[in-house]
Amino acid sequence: MEIDKPEEAPKANGAAEPAAAAPPAATVEDKLKSVVALVEKSVKAKDTRLLIGRLLRQTASVRKQLTASSVKCFLQQTLPAELESRAFLSSHIEQAASAGMDAEEATTSAQCEVSAVIPEVELFAYLIVLIFLCDSKQYQLARGVADHALSRLAKFNRRTLDVIAARIYFYYGLSYEQGGDLASIRSSLLALHRTAVLRHDAIGQETLMNLLLRNYLHYNLYDQAEKFRSKAQKADQFRSGQQYCRYLYYLGRIRTIQLEYTEAKDCLQQALRRAPSIAHGFRISVSKWLILVRLLLGEIPDRQEFAQPGMSAALMAYFELTQSVKAGNTLTFKQVTDRFSSVFLADRTHNLITRLHQNVIRIGLRRINLAYSRVSLAEIAAKLHLASAEDAEYIVAKAIRDGGIDAVIDHEGGFMASRERVDVYSTAEPQAAFHARVAFCLDLHNEAIKAMRFEPDAHRRKAESSEARQERLAAEQELAKALEEDDGDDF
Amino acid sequence: MALQESTKLFQRLKDALGKGDLSTADSVLSQLKLQLIQLPALPPSFEQTPTAQQELLLGREVLEQAVLLSLKKQDEAAMERSFAQLRTYYNDTRALLPASPSEVTMQGLNLLRLLVQNRIAEFHTELELIPPQAQQEPAILQPVQLEQWLMEGAYNKVLAASNQSASEVHGMLLAQLATTVRDEAASCSEKAYERLRVADAKKLLLFDNEAAVRAYAKEHGWTVTVDDYIVFRSAATEGTAAAKAIPSLELINNALVYAKELERIV
Repeated sequence: MEIDKPEEAPKANGAAEPAAAAPPAATVEDKLKSVVALVEKSVKAKDTRLLIGRLLRQTASVRKQLTASSVKCFLQQTLPAELESRAFLSSHIEQAASAGMDAEEATTSAQCEVSAVIPEVELFAYLIVLIFLCDSKQYQLARGVADHALSRLAKFNRRTLDVIAARIYFYYGLSYEQGGDLASIRSSLLALHRTAVLRHDAIGQETLMNLLLRNYLHYNLYDQAEKFRSKAQKADQFRSGQQYCRYLYYLGRIRTIQLEYTEAKDCLQQALRRAPSIAHGFRISVSKWLILVRLLLGEIPDRQEFAQPGMSAALMAYFELTQSVKAGNTLTFKQVTDRFSSVFLADRTHNLITRLHQNVIRIGLRRINLAYSRVSLAEIAAKLHLASAEDAEYIVAKAIRDGGIDAVIDHEGGFMASRERVDVYSTAEPQAAFHARVAFCLDLHNEAIKAMRFEPDAHRRKAESSEARQERLAAEQELAKALEEDDGDDF
Repeated sequence: MALQESTKLFQRLKDALGKGDLSTADSVLSQLKLQLIQLPALPPSFEQTPTAQQELLLGREVLEQAVLLSLKKQDEAAMERSFAQLRTYYNDTRALLPASPSEVTMQGLNLLRLLVQNRIAEFHTELELIPPQAQQEPAILQPVQLEQWLMEGAYNKVLAASNQSASEVHGMLLAQLATTVRDEAASCSEKAYERLRVADAKKLLLFDNEAAVRAYAKEHGWTVTVDDYIVFRSAATEGTAAAKAIPSLELINNALVYAKELERIV
């Protein structure tokens, strides 16, 4: 097992700054070096939480500035020369650079000062390369690197490696998905998930479960996805907010297909609320499904939901759909579905749209019921464009039974008579609504308490010296600033 | 050789089914299944033998015939099992074998079976697996259309469709659908009408004669008045139901739940 030499590492990276506040003019290499220092410090202190938070945030901020040459520099400086990974990764970067449009800069021939690195740093290097390749859309190369990374990962069993490993799994899945070959990695993902559960690797478990769910849903295998999800062991509390978001979204989709619309609406709404505001693509997908579920439940979404910045163009088809459903007009509904059928096919929601037909009729019926106290069945048939009064009779009867409308049919006279409105406050409905809200608030309170974490060594710590306090305040400020400019693609 | 024997048995199976001889077909099928286990190229082992293609084709056709046989015997559990096995063939061997001509029919039959058993959630999950082009085929379009009509409540259309079915096996499934439809229509009528003339009830509930209507009404506890009206519920019973008591038990329960949650140490 490689051991790390703490004296040399800080000396080599001593030129770079304290991890807290990198000067704005820092180059990419410096930033990467500071991240490496952070990794080593955390591993020494065996503090994985530090890794989760700050490491990934800083990586995310560096991500946009990565170029092939800077990555190559970083590799040369961080990994010792005889490590085979270095040669492998460097060759991939060179292939990427020649295929890509980056201008070749003169690479500094800085040699690495350490003779051995801890596995975390090595796998962090893999991660940087993967991120760079995926961002420059070179998914073939990314696949090769990901496979190699996985075989390296299989040799280690260190908890401090979990966070980096989980990120690598994510890019592994991404590179295969873009290559169109998701089915082949399903068995390896399942094996990795088993291992993660055995080792109590919570973050790995979550990531892999989400990757597997995504895999099944990609091929429309809703049945298998549900079976996996119900049988897989889950931690009580998801460690990572973004993974929880994704999980809720996949769960919402499965429930929608299984016709459990209320539960689906809950999941999708929670996913939308928890999603970071920068994650546009995710929010658009969740919004589409949420709109459809709400339509299927019989409620019309507000206009504001479609008018959010950045989403209005993508949701245009759904907006028109909502309008035709709201009008209860089957003819316009058919027109809209035909016009936008390609959009719905691409989103794979076309089956749900077919289910909406019934809702259109129901809503049209409800409007008629509200407008008339008594209306003949032939009129209903004409207004809803149904085939005959007989059809209308059956449909109205079913709607009454399902509780959609409140009316009585008189067969002899051939009309439908709406029932008298009952004052809703004299029924038990306000109490039920109130109870639902109170229960929700209580659940929220419990969840918030559960999500608080206390430092395990708090009771052992002596009184802080002033420098320690300043450092802590600086760290908290950085945390607050980073939370504001949250990067959605991050953990 | 196992493959040749299986082929011969398969031929006998098809003949028996064609003649409608169900018991012979049954015994031949059990023998065939034992034979098929010996062929290595079939799932779950999927070995690559030189005759893999023929073995897979044979396995698939045997299962298709098994589905038809279980339909004729009206054995739903057997049909579900056979179709589950058939599904692995369709999904996993798509790259290896040419498409089966009866694949669409089989899927349509499966959808119909789920619809008749009122398992709508599984109906939709299965539907998701069928690609959009295949959904335009009449074999699949028919169950989808039926499901829509059922959801809307247009039971007359459902019954009209069930009277003209595509083949014998379809007809059997659709006949079961008629009973389901009738029960649904009855429960809808209960809620929707106050009273209904017996003659109209006969038409609405799709019975053949009035005696059947009266018997059905008695089963469901509807009263039939002297002048031929079925009264579903009387104004009297409704009146007493309207005098609601305060749901005290529910209120007590809710208050206790709030108290417990507030004091809970998480």
